[in-house]
Parts: sequence; structure tokens; C-alpha cells
Amino acid sequence: MEWLDSFWSIYSTLVLSMGTNILLALSIYFTLSCGLLTVANAAFMGIGAYAAALLTLNAGAPFSLALLAGTLLPAAVALLLGPPTLRLSGVYLAMATLAFGEVVRITILNAEGLTGGALGLNGIEQLTHVGHVAGAVLVALFLSLRAAKSRLGRAFAAICQDETATELMGVHVRAYQLCAFTCGAALAGLAGALNAHFTFFISPNEYGFERGVEILAMGVLGGTGSPWGAVIGAVVITLLPELLRGLGYFRPLINGLILVIIILYSPKGLWDLLRGARRTAVATR
Amino acid sequence: MSARTFLAAVVLAWGALGDVASAQIKLGAAEALTGNAAQYGLPIRKGFELAMGEINAAGGINGRKLELIIEDEQGKKEEAINVFKKLIFQDKVLMLFGPTLSNSAQASDPVAQGAKVVVFGTSNTADGITSIGNYVFRNSVTEADILPVTLKVALQKTGLKKVAVLYGNDDAFTKSGYDNFKRALEGLKIPVTTTETFAKGDVDFKPQLTKIKASNPDAIVLSALVAEGAPVMVQARQLGIHLPFIGGNGMNSPKIFELAKDSSDNLWVGSPWSVENPAPENKKFIAAYQKAHNALPDQFAAQAYDAMHIVAQALKNVKLSGKLDGDRKALRDALPGVQFSGATGPFKFRQVTDKAGKPAGYDAVQTAIVSVTKGNQYVIQK
Amino acid sequence: MLAQQLVNALSLGGVYALFALGFTLIFGVLDVINLAHGAIFMLGAYAALQAVLLLKLPLPAAIVVAILVAALAGLLLDRFIFAPLRARNAPHLAPMIATIGLAISINSAVQGIFGAENLRFPVDALPAEAFQMGTIRVTLIELQIIFLSILLMVALLWGLKRTRVGVALRAIAESPKAAALLGIDVEKLFGVTAVIASILGGVAGVLIALYSNALFPTMGQPMLHKGIAVVILGGMGDIRGAMLGGLFLGFAEVFAVAYIGSTMRDAVAFGLLFAILLLRPQGLFGQAAQRRA
Repeated sequence: MEWLDSFWSIYSTLVLSMGTNILLALSIYFTLSCGLLTVANAAFMGIGAYAAALLTLNAGAPFSLALLAGTLLPAAVALLLGPPTLRLSGVYLAMATLAFGEVVRITILNAEGLTGGALGLNGIEQLTHVGHVAGAVLVALFLSLRAAKSRLGRAFAAICQDETATELMGVHVRAYQLCAFTCGAALAGLAGALNAHFTFFISPNEYGFERGVEILAMGVLGGTGSPWGAVIGAVVITLLPELLRGLGYFRPLINGLILVIIILYSPKGLWDLLRGARRTAVATR
Repeated sequence: MSARTFLAAVVLAWGALGDVASAQIKLGAAEALTGNAAQYGLPIRKGFELAMGEINAAGGINGRKLELIIEDEQGKKEEAINVFKKLIFQDKVLMLFGPTLSNSAQASDPVAQGAKVVVFGTSNTADGITSIGNYVFRNSVTEADILPVTLKVALQKTGLKKVAVLYGNDDAFTKSGYDNFKRALEGLKIPVTTTETFAKGDVDFKPQLTKIKASNPDAIVLSALVAEGAPVMVQARQLGIHLPFIGGNGMNSPKIFELAKDSSDNLWVGSPWSVENPAPENKKFIAAYQKAHNALPDQFAAQAYDAMHIVAQALKNVKLSGKLDGDRKALRDALPGVQFSGATGPFKFRQVTDKAGKPAGYDAVQTAIVSVTKGNQYVIQK
Repeated sequence: MLAQQLVNALSLGGVYALFALGFTLIFGVLDVINLAHGAIFMLGAYAALQAVLLLKLPLPAAIVVAILVAALAGLLLDRFIFAPLRARNAPHLAPMIATIGLAISINSAVQGIFGAENLRFPVDALPAEAFQMGTIRVTLIELQIIFLSILLMVALLWGLKRTRVGVALRAIAESPKAAALLGIDVEKLFGVTAVIASILGGVAGVLIALYSNALFPTMGQPMLHKGIAVVILGGMGDIRGAMLGGLFLGFAEVFAVAYIGSTMRDAVAFGLLFAILLLRPQGLFGQAAQRRA
């Protein structure tokens, strides 16, 4: 077991990051799977992280309460934000949520008395254990797999295919979309709250445009057809830079090229590719 | 040669290699070598390598050579933590330099503190870094010590009465600089006509500068790094603002003469390091750097260069046992006593306290050199 | 101060508009949000700089070099990324994610070759003239940027209206299928669009590098954020809209600094974008959307 100990002391943060990235990828899977292109996940992650960290740092709240607040506050914001924004569709929705994300980031930056501004919040206790992250991932994955097979999932798929037709069939499209948006926000917030409590430090710039795009990339790269796609996308995006560490200066170059190649060869996502391969294997057996 | 003898030879060679490796003293560095912060991480790397080359060429530490394992942390906090863990637990380095940015240090230094490994920042200036714990050291001077001196000298020489302030508000380095400027200005009772901000990566500063011009100050206090500071100066001169600029550490770089050529005059900076400082240690550093890289060094390189020499000084007084935990502690105990004079002048450590008032890590004690730019050169004032 | 701020807003708006032109063109015709536009913008700037430093070319010739490099980048972008994805009938978001990867690669390659530090054009390569009119100061570069962005927009509008390629492009923007039925070589024109858009991006890169005096590998990133805002403000895919949206954002930012406070500069810009989207989803200057997918 010695190798496990040493593996864990070297890679624990990487494993935990992978877990929170899976939560983030699932958070965008929710909205993508019902045809909503929103990129506010980074902002929700930030809201969750700051809410939880402020509670444990300043109020001495127990970790469970901090996690709860980190999950519920972004969900509440999403419930308020949803009705006006979800009227938009396609790129317009993406841009509205992007703009919202920037406003959140700048607000955190300027609310210096509470958030520490650009200097961030430091000295956050290391409360997140692998059990928390694994538990959160399993529950989120289980729920989203169940949801995918339920009425909810079928409604999402129908909305994704044809919004107008689904509405005509008597499905309240807007309500389903708001539900997906809120669930996504809650998951992203939880990811943020967990992440803040194993990295000692948070600052506003971690929750900006780049993070939003990275979350989107995890969702799309893995594929939006199944929650497993989100898991694969998150694992690839987290591990790739680590596997390429030996390349030195060329690491980002190769990393980027690999992303391009993955998209070129499996435009519908890696999950689709794997499932396709399995299906062919079954067919040729 | 039969297969067996060949194998034996390989095993022998491998063994010999192992001996050599264990004879070296392994140090780690986590710096931003790619990404946006690489513009600071790369000069830092050059500074380390230059100093290490000198130390090894002079016979190393008590006969053992130094080896530096340098890893890229991309200026991101998670990467910094990952790299710290890799260097501490996998490469088993004796101590760590880095990371490049203060924000990353807030995230990764607790890892080193927890593992009881010395972490030595050469570019982290934000307040509170060394409060993390007693294994945290830095030789990057906090601006709290330097800026009041810079302001006082500029005040005496230019007779300024009121100033405008411009700073980057989304970056820990420039924001921290601003906080200290603000404190120093309040201490000296200098009124501020207007306070303006910009964001990292901005290319247009004219709206802020126009507003500053209208507020009619005698000088502009600027907390910025050269990347933004140089365009600020160029655009100010384009708008016909010929006031003095008073900058922090971030503006102390000969690169300003490249980036703001013909617009760089009348910039006041204070720092322990100056490219014009005629001290022999500094002359030697600059000459060696120029020979190796065909360019003038900046403060980041100078501080990294000195940091490596400071660690070497401490190591000379440490009897390394080969037991990692003991050696790491011995180095920690030896470091605070180092007194050294390098490219950044006379140097010693000062212990700071943490939030609870208990003794924690170590900041640098150094004297500021205040200089002003004139005709594409720094001219030392004090 | 007001007069000077108006001039500042006009040149900043011109800068944004210039960047947004190519970005909006790719969206309008290819229906792709090209997140590598910032990287191509940077590539143009670096190409011109190297032409000045290494080949000792005068500035106008250096701009031609930048145009060639950007055109090549656009050609490769369409040939090796967009075209294969179109052929495979990829989902909507696939090309956008591919451009993220490409942007990372281009930025990293440029940093590897030219370093991470800021670079600038040599002082003697720049027109240094500045004009004083009353209390206002304008530099020649600012005037050139304003002039050039208007010129490029007019040329683009004219080209789209009057030339055969332009008419075909507009047909494709309406409906690629219908355009193909009309006998238009849609594939070829997609390539042409990517090239034109990249040229616009590359030229914008040179001009903005001249204006700001700073080239760095990630210089396209902040511009990309603003570019997206501009394109939305103007209505996606709308050339005139990009121009007006750019000016609008320039004015919004400058007046946020002048009258609200510079910490609110970006908050005002994006808050306004958010508000406008909720009130007028088609953009500030866009016509009501005719197409709804």
C-alpha cells in the first residue's frame, strides 16, 4: 500500500480537481441536454465558492452548512435569473449568460470589504476530503442517469429535438428548462464550494470567461447525449495537461491540438464514439 | 561483448549514475513558464540558473553540486499545488522556490508548510504570504517598506503637492501595491485628486488618463507592471500629460525603455535592485546575465539570482544527513541567520507573525534605492 | 475633458469595430463562433512586427505580410477544421470547441517562438504625429484606425452588395441549402469567407498593436471578450451592426470611466449587454430575426 500512499500524496489535488470538474461538466450537461447553451456555470461556481468559503472563514460555520449554502445560493440566483434570460435562444442565451458571468466576477472584485477583491480569500481550511467529492459525484451521476431515463429526461430530449413541437404536445418547456438551469447552477455551486476547501485560496479571476469556456469544452468534448459523456469530458480535460507535463514549453501547444483532433474525429463527443465502437463490436460478434 | 557482460556494464553504469545523483543537492522550483505569467516566470528561471551555474562552477556546496528541478505551474493555483506536491513527494527536493504569482502562492505555500518543506518566494509581494507559516520565506520586498521612501524622495525633489492614482485592480500584485501607496499617501498627508483603475490585458488607458489630466495633479502614482505600465506612459505622453509618474516595484525594469521609448522619462521607482546600482555584486550579475542572454536583466531575475545565493549560503552551514525530513528542517533552521550582499544589496531576514500574532515566516529587510528615468536610463537619487 | 473623451471613445470604438468585423462575418456566413479569432488577430500583429524587425520592411509592406499570414491561417482553419466538421455534419458546438483548442495551440506556439514578454514596434516605424486642436489631442494612428475601420466596413458592405461573391455570400447566410440549389459553390465560398474574415482580424491586430504599443501572445483574449459583446450588440452576423456595436461599446466604456468610475468600466459594458439582450434580443441595431432555427 506504500505506492498508494505516495500516489495519493502526489496526486490527491489532481484527483479532487477531477471530481469537481466532473460536477462542473454534469452541471453544463443538464442545460445542454435540454437545448440550452448557457455559459454562466463559472459564475455559479464562483458564487458557491465564495458563499461557502465566507461561511467557514468568517462565521465559523460547519462544513456541511457551507456546502449547503454553496449549493443553494447559486440555485436561488439561477431561479431569479432564469425567467427573463431563458426567453433567449441559441447564441443570444450564451452571450447573456456570459455577460452575467462577467458582471458577477466584477462584482466580487469590487466588493472588497467582503471578498478581499483581487487579493482573494486566503487561509481557507482544507475541509474537503475525497469522500465528499466522491459522494457528490456519485449522487450527481446517479441522479442524472436516473433523470435521463425518466419522464424528465425524455422531456429534455424532446425539447432538444424540437422546442415548438414539444410545447404543442402540452409539455411546459420553459419550466423544464428553468429546472435544468437551476439544477446546473446548484451542481456548479457545489463544485465551487468543494474546490475552495481543498485549494486554500480563491480569487475572482478563477471564475471568469476562461473557466466558463473550459466547462463548456468538457461538456461538448465528452458528448451531450449521456451523463457519462460529461464524465469522460471532465476526465480528459483534467488529465491531458498532466500527462503532457514532460513536453515543457510545448505542453499547451500539443494539448490544444489534441482537443482539435478529438473534436474532428468525434464531433458528437467521445461518449458517442465509444458507444459507436461498442455497438460495432457487438454487431461484428 | 556478451550479453551478460553488457548487462553488467549497464548495471554498473546505472549504479554510478545513481551515486552522482545522490551526490547532488536537489532543489525544486515551480514557476510560470507558459501562459500569461511566463513573462515573469522566465526571467526568474534565468536568474536561478545563472546563480546555480556560478555556485557549481565554484565547486558547489561543500563539494556537492546543486541541481534544480524546475516545473511549469502556468500561473494557475491548482497547477501550483500539483507541481508543489510532485516536487515534494515524487522528486523529493530539499526545498522549493516559487511560485511566480502571489495568488498561486496563497494556494500552494500551505502545501509546503504542511509537508515541512522550505518554500522561498522570489516574486510574491502580496501582504500575508509569509504569515502562512514558519517554512515560508521570501526575498521579494513588500512594497510596504519601499513605497513610503520612494514617495518621500519624489516629494522632496519635485515638490509635488497632490497626486492622482492609477492601478490595476484585478491583479494581486498591483492591487497590493495600490493598498500600500494609499497607506503611504495618507501617512504623508498628500491629497489624491482622483483614483482610477484598469484591468489586466487592457490596451486602452486614455479615458482614465483624460480624467486624471482634468483633475490637475502634480504627479501620477502608478501601481502597474511594465506590461501595462509602459503603454500607460506612452498614452499619457500622447495626451500631452508630462507629469512625473511614481511607480512601484512592478515598474522597475529596464524593459520600460524598450516598451515606452521616448515616453519613459520622469518615472520614479524605488526598489532594493536597480540596473544602475554600481555595487560590484550587481555589476557582476548584470554582466553575467547580459553575456548569457544578450539582454538586460529585470528585478525578477535579480531577486531569483539572489535567492539561490541565499539558499547556498544557508546550505554551507547545514550538515546534510541524507535523511530528507531532518535535512529539510535543518535548512529551515539555517536560513533565517543568513546575511548576504548580492545584486539587490545587503540582505537579511525578518520574522513576521501570523493572523493570531504567533511567529510565522520570513520577509526581507533591505534598503530602497530610489531612481528616476532620464534619457532612457535610471538615475539614482538616493 | 468631454471633447477629449469623445475622441477617445471614437478611436476605442473603431478598434472594437475593426476586431468585430471578421468575427461577425464568420458567424453570419459559416454560423460558427470562432474563438480562434483572437489568436489570428495576434498572429497578424506578430507577423507585421517580424516583417519590420527581420525583413526591415516599412509599415505598409508589413501590413501586407500580416494580411498574407492571416489569410493563410484562415485558409487552413477552414480547410482542416471547419470543412471536415461540415462534411461530418457535426453538431453546432463542435467547431466552436475546436477553435478553443486551436487558439490555445497558436498562443502557445507564438509564446514558444517569440517569448511571453511584451513586444512593440520600433519607435521609428511609427508615425509619431499628434495634433492639438484646442484642448483635444489626437494621434495620427488614432485617425488612421478610425479611417481604416470605416474604409474596411464600406468596402465590405460594397463587396457584399455589388460583387457576385458578395451576393452569393448573402445567399449562403440566408440558407446554405438554397444557395447550393442555385448553383453556388457553397464549400468554396465558406473558404473565401474564412480567409476574408481572418484578413480583417489580422489587420485589426496590426492596427491595435500600433495603437496600444503592446504585443503579447494572449493579446487577443481580452479583445475576444469585447468582440463578442460588440457582435451581440450589433446583432449577430450584421456588418453594419458590428460597426455601430463597436462604437457603442467604445462610448459606453469611456463614459463609464468618465462619469461612473473606472472600476465599473467592464461591469457597465457587460451589464449593458445583458440588459440589451433581455430587452432587444436581436441586438441594438439588428433587425428582428427572420430566421429561427
